[in-house]
Amino acid sequence: MALFADLNIVNTPDTDRKRLQSLIENAAHLGYSTVAINHVAEFQGKKQEIAKPISVTELYPSPPIVQGKSKPIKILTRLTVIVSDAAHCNDLRITSPHTRSYDIVAVLPKTEKLFHVACMTLDIDLICINVIEKQPYHFRRPSVNGAIERGIYFELAYSPAIKDSTMRRYTISNALSLMQICKGKNIIMSSAAERPLELRGPYDIANLGLLFGLTEGDAKAALSTNCRAALLHGETRKTALGVIYTVKKVSATEEKDEGTPLSKRAKTKSD
Amino acid sequence: MIHPGEDAAYERHVSRNTCDYHYLKVGLAFEETRPGFRLNAAHFKQLIVSALKDLHGEIGAALPFDVLKFEEETLTSILRVKSNGLVKLWSALTLLGSYQNQKCAFRVTQVSPFLLALSGNSRELVLN
Repeated sequence: MALFADLNIVNTPDTDRKRLQSLIENAAHLGYSTVAINHVAEFQGKKQEIAKPISVTELYPSPPIVQGKSKPIKILTRLTVIVSDAAHCNDLRITSPHTRSYDIVAVLPKTEKLFHVACMTLDIDLICINVIEKQPYHFRRPSVNGAIERGIYFELAYSPAIKDSTMRRYTISNALSLMQICKGKNIIMSSAAERPLELRGPYDIANLGLLFGLTEGDAKAALSTNCRAALLHGETRKTALGVIYTVKKVSATEEKDEGTPLSKRAKTKSD
Repeated sequence: MIHPGEDAAYERHVSRNTCDYHYLKVGLAFEETRPGFRLNAAHFKQLIVSALKDLHGEIGAALPFDVLKFEEETLTSILRVKSNGLVKLWSALTLLGSYQNQKCAFRVTQVSPFLLALSGNSRELVLN
């Protein structure tokens, strides 16, 4: 089974290191094996700043242990660009060497046209669904199908639903209208948490997914398998061609051969 | 129990969907370890009913559930709910964010159709 991941821990400029650390510790305690620290870039007033991501090793020399796994938590970096104008997409393309330093790149399109562009052409991994205001446009089937074919995932954040009851309404209604089109495919649920108490356990969120109209299997995949797929999509974007996982072998081959019977040993020239 | 005279017959019983109830072991977490007020079992139940009402409305608030056990010191509790109301209750607990203007969170430790299963811990099987 793929491990649980929460791909959205918000890092605003005013977030201090201590709060970020306590958030990550909390996520590890709740059972998330992977978290991504999210940097939000908003092109308001032409102040373009896609800064370098936070240094993970600097933040944590030794990451906290995941609950029930006895392994340290994996911390990634993610960039979210709020796209409200077509010109911002160009910035996304021009700065593409800059976005390379991030593990995941997401966009939040504000108009239907930009949503279509994000689904069909932009080189990204996630499309955020706005959960803090009413969806200003309808999701259209061609765009969503295009995104599913390209392996782009849609992200729903749940922590605004915990904070405020109107946002809760928007979250549920936007989620349901998306589910009608995508039928539960390519959905990721993440926290967008700014405080430790806004985080919820992975099983709680899988249950919440049932409320959004996902099936039980889809809801669990939205926290585990789909997140993994989005991460791998991000890695292919970095390398441009594909991903190769290599495992370094520590022990010498001779030592291994001792235990195996003669017939199963690799044939060498001396035999 | 086999009595002498009775033959030791082999019987096979298969039961499907016979679990009427689900049990949840939940903890309530506050920002500080000790909140500035006392929370007894009645308040606790009232809190959950209001959470249900916030998310599911009057019909949700009418959902029958029981607080089987509540520990004031650790703010942990065991809840029982009819299986068809589990999703409603659980989601209401998930989306609860504050109590008396203090931020809080429900931490659901375990969910099981058998009360016996709550005696062990299924989430932290690798214990040091």
